[in-house]
Amino acid sequence: MSRDELDQAVQIWIREGAEGPLDEPRFEALALALFAYQHEHNAPYRRLCETVGIDDPRRVECWQDIPAVPTGAFKEARLACFPPDRRLRVFRTSGSTTERRGELHLDTLDLYEASLRSTFGQYVLGGPSRMRILVLAPPAEEAPDSSLSHMFHIACRDLGTAASRFYVRGHGWDPDALIGDLAEVDESVALVGTAFAFVHLLDELEARGLRLTLPVGSRAMETGGFKGRSRELSREELHGGIAKALGLPRHAIVNQYGMCELASQFYEPSLLLGHVTTVKRVPPWVRTRVVDAATLQDRPRGEPGVLVHYDLANTGSVLAVQTSDLGRRRDDGFEILGRLPGAEQRGCSIAADALLALR
Amino acid sequence: MNTPSSLTDLREAAGRLDPDRVGSALASGLDLWRAADSPWLARLARAHPVYSAAVLERGVRMGVQAWSAQALRQLATDAARRGGPAPGLTAVWLAGSIPTASFHALLLPLLAGSAVYGRPSSHDPASARLFTASLRAVDPGVADALEVGRDDTLLDQADALVAYGSNETIESLRGRAPAGCLFVGYGHKLSAAAVGPAADLESAATAVALDAALFDGRGCLSPAYVFVAQDPQGRADRFAEHLADALGALTETLPRGALSATEQVALRERWAREALREGARVLSPVPRTDWAVLLAPAGTWPEPGLLRFVPVLPVRDLDELGTCCAQLHPHLSSLAHVGWEAGADELEKIVRRGGGARCCAPGRLQAPPLDWRQDEREPLPLLLRKPRTTA
Repeated sequence: MSRDELDQAVQIWIREGAEGPLDEPRFEALALALFAYQHEHNAPYRRLCETVGIDDPRRVECWQDIPAVPTGAFKEARLACFPPDRRLRVFRTSGSTTERRGELHLDTLDLYEASLRSTFGQYVLGGPSRMRILVLAPPAEEAPDSSLSHMFHIACRDLGTAASRFYVRGHGWDPDALIGDLAEVDESVALVGTAFAFVHLLDELEARGLRLTLPVGSRAMETGGFKGRSRELSREELHGGIAKALGLPRHAIVNQYGMCELASQFYEPSLLLGHVTTVKRVPPWVRTRVVDAATLQDRPRGEPGVLVHYDLANTGSVLAVQTSDLGRRRDDGFEILGRLPGAEQRGCSIAADALLALR
Repeated sequence: MNTPSSLTDLREAAGRLDPDRVGSALASGLDLWRAADSPWLARLARAHPVYSAAVLERGVRMGVQAWSAQALRQLATDAARRGGPAPGLTAVWLAGSIPTASFHALLLPLLAGSAVYGRPSSHDPASARLFTASLRAVDPGVADALEVGRDDTLLDQADALVAYGSNETIESLRGRAPAGCLFVGYGHKLSAAAVGPAADLESAATAVALDAALFDGRGCLSPAYVFVAQDPQGRADRFAEHLADALGALTETLPRGALSATEQVALRERWAREALREGARVLSPVPRTDWAVLLAPAGTWPEPGLLRFVPVLPVRDLDELGTCCAQLHPHLSSLAHVGWEAGADELEKIVRRGGGARCCAPGRLQAPPLDWRQDEREPLPLLLRKPRTTA
């Protein structure tokens, strides 16, 4: 299949909705076709495949055997199926300005945006009606390499009302504007942002002695963890704090799990179900495996392992991505158990970063 | 928790000993580890959290092989002739997970005549404890001068502090050492192997594989890089293939210890990063991570090897080997070399350019002599009485 044909096939599937049937044969056929395309057009990925003995993509007979690229490798190579001059956008992993950051190169944003509209619309907004979206993150023009900011930008543009707004600008956020707007809203809203931004909001509300009650039907979506930019709260503490401070039922607070290297994101369908769940729903055009770190074999249901995602919307890069996240399969999705800690030094050989820093 | 009285006991026990008795006890204690079917090795295998039993047995046997009664006596005699009085109590801050490194670190101050308090690393609580127990089995009087525990307050009461660890740890401990306390710090290092144009590639690869497999490539004596003379062209490729074969064979006889999930993922990530790189070649038993050989493109510097992931770097000649070693300065510890048409002096000079002091044959990296100049220091720096020795 050509790239256009692949893009079109995935686009059609995404348009059928995030809650559509999983359709295993359809996924298998598209995944293998996409793998063949990426093997041919993504030179670094082809090298990796050849290293594991796959010099001919036809040797791979099921999607589970498609070699996954660890997220850290996105720091090393430009994993793209198109020449650099066709690059439209680069999303980068968060990190300091000095450390090397992972990059996802995109020549089109169509599938990325289609995927986010489908899942954000389904699991955060709960339907086709537009909603006012209040964003606790910088806008895309101020963070052009942030996939999260782009996601919120598209959500506001395509799914939000005209009153949707970003509350993080320049070097900080605007608590007066946000708290003022939250106190005055008279229709349901979606408050979305990074987990650490929510912590700052909770701290600010507490400092002001404020407790709000958002209109019925309002909801919150947090994502991205804390990244050392606020005090760290457990999920219970964060969601409990949001519920209490904003007058939201617990099932109206949704955690999203995503990463720069993937075009699709994962949400807890708490709003959809009407009760709290910690299980992330996997869209039909994505598969997630929980594998043993040593053997890459699937872990039994409920047992912890490393998450590997296969995202058909990643047509321009690589569809199979191995994370450093721990999770377990549960129900029809997966649960996040945390991130693997940094590799500990159990010997006395000098650490690579220490050596390279001195060179 | 050590009370002042138990510290006094330690000092008094050391004061009652003469160097001959300490040397004899250490030699007999080490004999227990060298013995066929040593129960001490079996105990270590049961208690050690990092390595397989086979690696521990082979690595420890090889490590202590040359630490004979004669070598111990010689070192003690040299020290007595050249050094001053030993510190009353030496605290030894151990690091890493290599048993023989712990043995060496504990026996040196004992041999110098000091009482010793050893603080084991969190990654290896077993080796120091079992070494002490083996010494007690042969001479309780000598063992009374050695105690192992995790009482950090000892730092304030020791006359000397010998610290092993990362640079951060060394600096932190240096700052904590009380005024007047002699401080000796040994930071983390790495070693390398160099295969010259006259070397037989297959036997060199077999020996280097053993160096990498022992202690799973975690130690500062493990080959972090293997430099191979690339003349004629393709020689480094052939060496890499032999090394892959040898590492594969050792998977059966010297299996790697269990890795944490974090280590597994980091290793897989490392593997992928290298495989993606243009011009690089990675040989490994995918999907497993038991070992890997990276043939790096000429002129590139990959990250150092670890956990049996061994980078092979082609070099043109001895000059380029020297340049490469110099770039490792001051981190190079030891260089295993074979097949270079150069004198021993020339290779020692090359090692010194990297900050190291030890040359040996491939397959012998994990067996330093008792009196080796770790970090280019005298083997018993405690006796030199130079307060605040720099790391």
